[in-house]
Amino acid sequence: MPHLDAGYNLARWLTRNASDAEDVVQDACVRALKYIGALRDGDARSWFLTIVRHAFYDWCKRNRPSEIVRDDGTAIDLAADPMAIDPEQAASRMSDSQVLADAVAALPLPYREVLVLRELEELSYKEIARVADLPVGTVMSRLARARGLLQRSPLLHAIRGRTSEGDR
Amino acid sequence: MNCNEAATLVARYVDGEVDDLQRRTIEQHLRTCANCVAEHQAALALRDRVRAEVPYHQAPPTLRERVRAMAAEAAAAAGAPRPRPLRERWRWLISGAVAGCAATIMAWTVGTTVLAWHTNEDVAAEAVAMHVRATLNNHLIQVASSDQHTVKPWLSARLDYSPPVRDFSSDGFTLNGGRLDMLDKQRVATLVYQYRLHMIDVFVRPETAGAAPTLHTIRGFNVAHATGAGMDWLAVSDVSADVLKAFVERLARDEGAP
Repeated sequence: MPHLDAGYNLARWLTRNASDAEDVVQDACVRALKYIGALRDGDARSWFLTIVRHAFYDWCKRNRPSEIVRDDGTAIDLAADPMAIDPEQAASRMSDSQVLADAVAALPLPYREVLVLRELEELSYKEIARVADLPVGTVMSRLARARGLLQRSPLLHAIRGRTSEGDR
Repeated sequence: MNCNEAATLVARYVDGEVDDLQRRTIEQHLRTCANCVAEHQAALALRDRVRAEVPYHQAPPTLRERVRAMAAEAAAAAGAPRPRPLRERWRWLISGAVAGCAATIMAWTVGTTVLAWHTNEDVAAEAVAMHVRATLNNHLIQVASSDQHTVKPWLSARLDYSPPVRDFSSDGFTLNGGRLDMLDKQRVATLVYQYRLHMIDVFVRPETAGAAPTLHTIRGFNVAHATGAGMDWLAVSDVSADVLKAFVERLARDEGAP
């Protein structure tokens, strides 16, 4: 299983929880072993990431149905995220380097997955489109939205405000 | 081009998803438009922060072990669809013995790996320090060329061995050049490759005994090692561990000069 790390990293960012990520990856491995015959010379990493993503959504339907957002434009942005972290509380307890990671974790699922596939797995737009089963244009717009949200994240601003106060 | 058009192109430019014409267009626009320059800088800064601060989670060893067992089971099931029936008692006895053997083998593997890892750790840390220094110096390249026939003679003339030099630009790994470094009190050849936006330093030295292939992460940089073609290959980069490992193993495969 050469791409286990990649699969685990994706599952970890999608579930935001270590033991759930293990469950999802294990399920994905069962499927991968079953369908390994279907993989012919293709990109094994993208193939495995696709399976992990499917395993996650199936797991999510069973365990956290509220997180799945139907995409009709604005729905993603309006969806309340039960796992999201309260910015003020978070900023007061966290070190600066954790803030960005938490801001990524707080992104709505459809944005989080393209961002993780792009920045951490470093897939190309085309590969992300294949893994996430989206048109390339949607990949690009979701990435832009994810980055916009990160840049304006109240978490980052809470920290920035605190550090500039400290400088004074 | 106006700034609206530029905005989407800036993101693609940062992601390395533009063709030559688009690259030239956006670079020209960035020379004249301060607003878009700021956008570009912000996008680069965010990308660097995300890569530096957002952790890449590696599969825990317990999961790795479970998956390995699953794969072995699947392979066994595929190879021998119907295991011969054993008497219940024997099955327990044999499985006990197998578990005992497996535990011993695992303990031994873990022990030797840890030992090998400790001896290699110093070299790996040194290699990472060198990579960081080179990056700070804007990637110090003493012989800049994407032509392997220029880089190889330059290195051989300065070393007592001749490292294999190959270009893999067709697969996205472009040879940028080479330089000399001191690694483990030894003069070594360093090949500088570029993959997308990442610099990869590959330290090449004649094979030494006792070096075990390892893969680890030091201060966010991945270090991958392989042995082959009579050489030790140590690659350091911020590119993902999977990609780096595959690349260094490919380098080490003795395919001869193309």
